[in-house]
Amino acid sequence: MTETLIFIVAGTLAATVPLLFAALGELVAEKSGMLNLGVEGMMATGAAAGFVAAVVTGSHTLGFLAGAVTACLLSCVYAILTTIFLANQVASGLAVGVLGLGVSAAIGKNYEGTTVDPLAELNLGPLSDIPVIGEALFEHDIMVYLAIVAAIIVWYVLQRTKLGLIIRAVGESPSSAHALGYPVTLVRGACVLFGGAMAGIGGAYLSTAYTPLWAEGMVAGRGWIVVALIVFGSWMVHRVALGAYLFGAVSLLELSIQGLGLDIPSQILSASPYIITIIVLAVISRNPALILLNSPVSLGQTFKASN
Amino acid sequence: MTAPKRRLLGALAAGTLALGLATSAIAEDKTKIGFIYPSPVGDVGWAYRLDEGRKAVEAHFGDKVETFAVENVPEGPDAARVMNQMAAQGADIIMIGSFGYMNDGLKLAAQKPDIDFMHASGYKTADNFSNFQTRNYESSYIAGMAAGDVSKSGVLGVVAAYPIPEVVGIINTFALGAQRTNPDITVKVVWLNSWFNPSKAQESARSLIAQDADVIFSLYQDTPSVVTAAEEEGVYVVNTSSDMKKYAPNHLLASMTTDWGPYFIDRVQKSMDGNYDGLAYWGGMADGAVGVVSLSPDLTKEDMAEIDSVIAEMKAGTFHPMTGPIVDQDGEEKLAAGESIDDDSMRGIDWLVKGVETRIPN
Amino acid sequence: MARYRLEARTERSAAAPFLVTGMAILLTLVAGSGLFLIYGKSPVAGFTAFFIEPLQSAYGIGEVLLKMGPLLLIAQGLAIGFRARIWNIGAEGQLILGAIAASVLAIYFDGSTSWLLLPAMVVAAMLAGMAWAGIAAWLRNSFNANEILVTFMLSSIALQLLYYLVTGPLRDPMGFNFPQSITFSPAATFPLLIEGTRVNVSLLLAFVATVLAWIYMQRSLPGYKLVVGGLAPQAALYAGFSDKRAVWVGLLIGGAAAGIAGVGEVAGPLGMLQRNISPGYGYAAIIVAFLGGLHPIGIVFSSALMALIYVGGDFARLSVGLPSAVTTIFQGLLLTFYLASALFLQYRLRRVDARPPVQAAAAEGAG
Repeated sequence: MTETLIFIVAGTLAATVPLLFAALGELVAEKSGMLNLGVEGMMATGAAAGFVAAVVTGSHTLGFLAGAVTACLLSCVYAILTTIFLANQVASGLAVGVLGLGVSAAIGKNYEGTTVDPLAELNLGPLSDIPVIGEALFEHDIMVYLAIVAAIIVWYVLQRTKLGLIIRAVGESPSSAHALGYPVTLVRGACVLFGGAMAGIGGAYLSTAYTPLWAEGMVAGRGWIVVALIVFGSWMVHRVALGAYLFGAVSLLELSIQGLGLDIPSQILSASPYIITIIVLAVISRNPALILLNSPVSLGQTFKASN
Repeated sequence: MTAPKRRLLGALAAGTLALGLATSAIAEDKTKIGFIYPSPVGDVGWAYRLDEGRKAVEAHFGDKVETFAVENVPEGPDAARVMNQMAAQGADIIMIGSFGYMNDGLKLAAQKPDIDFMHASGYKTADNFSNFQTRNYESSYIAGMAAGDVSKSGVLGVVAAYPIPEVVGIINTFALGAQRTNPDITVKVVWLNSWFNPSKAQESARSLIAQDADVIFSLYQDTPSVVTAAEEEGVYVVNTSSDMKKYAPNHLLASMTTDWGPYFIDRVQKSMDGNYDGLAYWGGMADGAVGVVSLSPDLTKEDMAEIDSVIAEMKAGTFHPMTGPIVDQDGEEKLAAGESIDDDSMRGIDWLVKGVETRIPN
Repeated sequence: MARYRLEARTERSAAAPFLVTGMAILLTLVAGSGLFLIYGKSPVAGFTAFFIEPLQSAYGIGEVLLKMGPLLLIAQGLAIGFRARIWNIGAEGQLILGAIAASVLAIYFDGSTSWLLLPAMVVAAMLAGMAWAGIAAWLRNSFNANEILVTFMLSSIALQLLYYLVTGPLRDPMGFNFPQSITFSPAATFPLLIEGTRVNVSLLLAFVATVLAWIYMQRSLPGYKLVVGGLAPQAALYAGFSDKRAVWVGLLIGGAAAGIAGVGEVAGPLGMLQRNISPGYGYAAIIVAFLGGLHPIGIVFSSALMALIYVGGDFARLSVGLPSAVTTIFQGLLLTFYLASALFLQYRLRRVDARPPVQAAAAEGAG
């Protein structure tokens, strides 16, 4: 039983890394009013490019870099479509998502069946020697901890810095922000690119560390889960992070329950995060004060400066 | 252009050529054979083995045949189109490599009596529609024996695709083989309900390891993700389809292999001779269709001797792994002492033997 | 140096939609040529396989029509919602629910020879699709919950529901535990429309839907209200058009169309309920709806083009050896270029004389 508990805690920390990175990126983009539904495609592209780079260079760092850069390039397409060509955000996100799935399949094609060494565990000295807790919390690769650090940084920047204030202002009301002299298009574009890079890192973690191989379709809907997570977390960093960990835990629990011989249809567990998210969304949306506080009012709306 | 980039582009081009085909300048007398795979060929797994069979056909018949393959064709409405297009391009034989192609294949077979079909892992046949399976339950018995030999915890874990009879049968003999070398063995199963989900397969392996399993069985998974996870966790691993030694150099206990070559060659010859039939082929150790490779050096001499003797008995046809007394999970006797299961019952098997703790979901 | 500025069009030119779509297709062809060259294939051979080969045989044309049916049907339904700014991106889930509802009837009444069975399945599928989309409409109206997110999440739930049903209650008891239902009897499947192809009568439903959509959008008052509500919510409100009504209408029509597309698949080429019932028609139809300019007639063409790309992609795999990824990239490129080009539907580039900024600002102030 202890072993299973350790597996779920340790496994959750690792399983959540791709979700959390991508969710933090998408959160920042959405805070600026940009709903990019192409996360799945961006993660896939990051996974394929990251894996190929890691295989070719033998370096995980370059793998993450390649994943971030490639997915970021893809998000440029979205940024250009929505800010310069004033295209509909929903359609642009889908375009980028489809493009990303195709591009990732093309990039990774010849590397199917190869593998890389998984990312090394960080040596945390005496911490990892603590019984149970050490094994569950302190025997991980560096990205597990960097994901948490990234969440803290994103929270800090959004809530405590001028930059964060500008991003939120742009997301609340792009026309007011524009009137105040903020470069709305630039801010929104940058937030989208950040979202792309983070999705790319998340994808690269999946293919170079979590399941060290590339296979078409390996992102397996995580990009869509990320979109749901933002809503689940009602656009608050700590809730999004909590949601990501909860989601990771539930998906592992499903497997452990099978091994333990309990007879619950796995599909109920698989569907539960979405059901819960819809309920959360309904509850927070009903309360105008709550939704105004967190949800970017201009989400999904294109903005064109009046002159 | 930088070196890595050029390499990437070159590789892209080369890869598509490898699977592509040249339709130009085909001599009319060549037998054209189309192959359809449900997943990417890669270099491990189900589609890879089928493609090895395709290569064996090419090697055997040389200029007399022309083969072409399409990979990654999902089971669903699009599969029929690929088959039809192969037929339109003059295929004489079509190999359809997944269970889910069965009904579309049968429909086309009825429309095109001139084309002979080979179908992997189904249960329906027609005059020009034969199906093929392998008796992987034989090799899994051997893998089970090895697992029983090395397991210290007495718990084995299986990461399985769907609870179809073929998979159920393999789990049964895996458990029986392990109980032969260690009577106290229990087996836990995680059903993935997917042939292909590398992350989830890998998570399942780790969840089984956390539940004390010290030998993991990657059953019909199209990627090596379970094997690499086991190597990382330092537990033994057994897999199906092809040799995965390179993914787990230290902890691969055994790889169960499948060789479609002899069967494909026989079928193609029959089709050429004009006496194709709706054979339901079920090849085993005796036919050279299944085997066990890369047995771990950690197995003792005595272990190996016993394994070798069982393999010899299977090849000679004197030993069936499903021979009584066998009781099911509920303790009900399914086979009396000395009684072996018949092929029809094995094809439709829907119960698990005692010692397997997980139930078949329904 | 000349400067250009975007300027809103005051009136729509009739030719603009064609020019825009033409431009998107042209750009896709150019980018596609580059893609073929990367793969070491001649663009001519590639495009022949993609766009000509499928149309050279009755079977190929049939396959294009087969693909076109669900895309056309769903896109017509979605476009009505989209024009009212109701973003239903969960047609995939509504399709699945429609397929499930129809399958329940087909399985329960297996062996029946009544001609009523098939129409009953269509109605059941339509209602199920509407019910699934209706959840999103209800949540939007009563809870203000964003329908983009709700419809999308309902799709994920629908998929799990389908997996549960085909591995359990609706599984063929004689099917060796494989996750699929029994094969539907003839009374529960659409008759073929063209012999020798797989095109069935459900394609007619898509064309009926097209005519209805055209009448509704272009010729009826409710349709006009819906569009006005989408373009100018304040004005619509002022004129007494209900925003809530638009949400209901937009989502229910989309759900009904997607549900019918679902029965078209299970009672059409599939003939059974299984795990893979749609290769993403619900998502592809969103692309189709946009490519067609959200116009009932435009969607007829865009659904045909999209279907051709799907089928052509399969042809190209076999005859040229291009991987399936190319099909996906093509679809992505087409939508991307269309969205970029579509800017010129609402704006035009106007040349602004090169003047120092200060002077320009002064001139603007004066004007």
